[in-house]
Amino acid sequence: MADGDTYIIKRKGQRPTEVFDRTKLHQSITAASLSARAPEGQADNIAHAVTNYVLEWLEQRPEVTSHDIRLVATRHLRAHHPDAAYLYEQHRTTL
Amino acid sequence: MDIASSLAIVTLAALIHASFQLSVSVLTLLSGHAIGAKHSQGKVMRLTFGYVSGVGVMTLLALSFISLIFLHIFGTDAPQFVWAVACGLLIGVGLAVWFFYYRPGKGTSLWIPRSFARHLSDRSKATKSSAEAFSLGLATVVSELLFIGAPMIIAALVLVGLPAHWQLVGIAIYAVISLLTLFSIWVLIGSGHKLSTIQKWREDNKHFLQFTAGGALAVLGFFVYVCKIVSDVSGSF
Repeated sequence: MADGDTYIIKRKGQRPTEVFDRTKLHQSITAASLSARAPEGQADNIAHAVTNYVLEWLEQRPEVTSHDIRLVATRHLRAHHPDAAYLYEQHRTTL
Repeated sequence: MDIASSLAIVTLAALIHASFQLSVSVLTLLSGHAIGAKHSQGKVMRLTFGYVSGVGVMTLLALSFISLIFLHIFGTDAPQFVWAVACGLLIGVGLAVWFFYYRPGKGTSLWIPRSFARHLSDRSKATKSSAEAFSLGLATVVSELLFIGAPMIIAALVLVGLPAHWQLVGIAIYAVISLLTLFSIWVLIGSGHKLSTIQKWREDNKHFLQFTAGGALAVLGFFVYVCKIVSDVSGSF
């Protein structure tokens, strides 16, 4: 792990800590937008915007939880696509 | 009990089964992942149909299996204490559904073991073929047995007392009616409705669904108790 990386604590420490992966966040935001029936191009643009916002937020934080990432991403996603934000937020509480 | 009353009980039991939400939650997740993975609409429909078929087949198998066990143990006429226990179970599960069906907080999380929920959630994400979706449907019914067990038991007790051809009709009625909710969601997804709208509706109405399912279980338990036990004791009906 390199200096400057942000570490993600997953499921309150029940799963191993990971280095933040930009691609993973991008994919999950794209998937949520597509699930909300956003066109592919729009879903990709939204995912870029949200990922950049989360990266900015992470700059001064060496360690955060996956729940924090979800909250911050949802807050920003809501401004772009409320339905996608709802699905993204609900993912863990559907079942 | 006459055939019409028996089929009415089977129908009500199946409606209660249809009101339970685990299989609907898994279908919502499965279709969300499939759409999110950029599958074509045709593939999404095939996957979700595979899942609904799996739920249907497992429901048929479970009901037939429970009926077969009752038939072997009690013959075509179960003793009254078995009916009394089944009615008590319906009322007990009804009360449990009122108090414990959904976990507190946002969303539609259910009181099922978290390991089951995680497994179903992970599998719904990993499902890529119709065969996997079918097996996910089978697994979902097993995970939901805690809630659907009671209506299935009462339906099975009623079914074993019917003539053979009516037993088949009863099982078919139960399977079709218990799948109504899933079919409705499947049609909504196929016609391009947003998953967020479906999930929002489910979340907004979850307490109504919980109250209805619990209340209907208690009503069914009371109805069967009156039909089978009180009327047998008083020699009427």
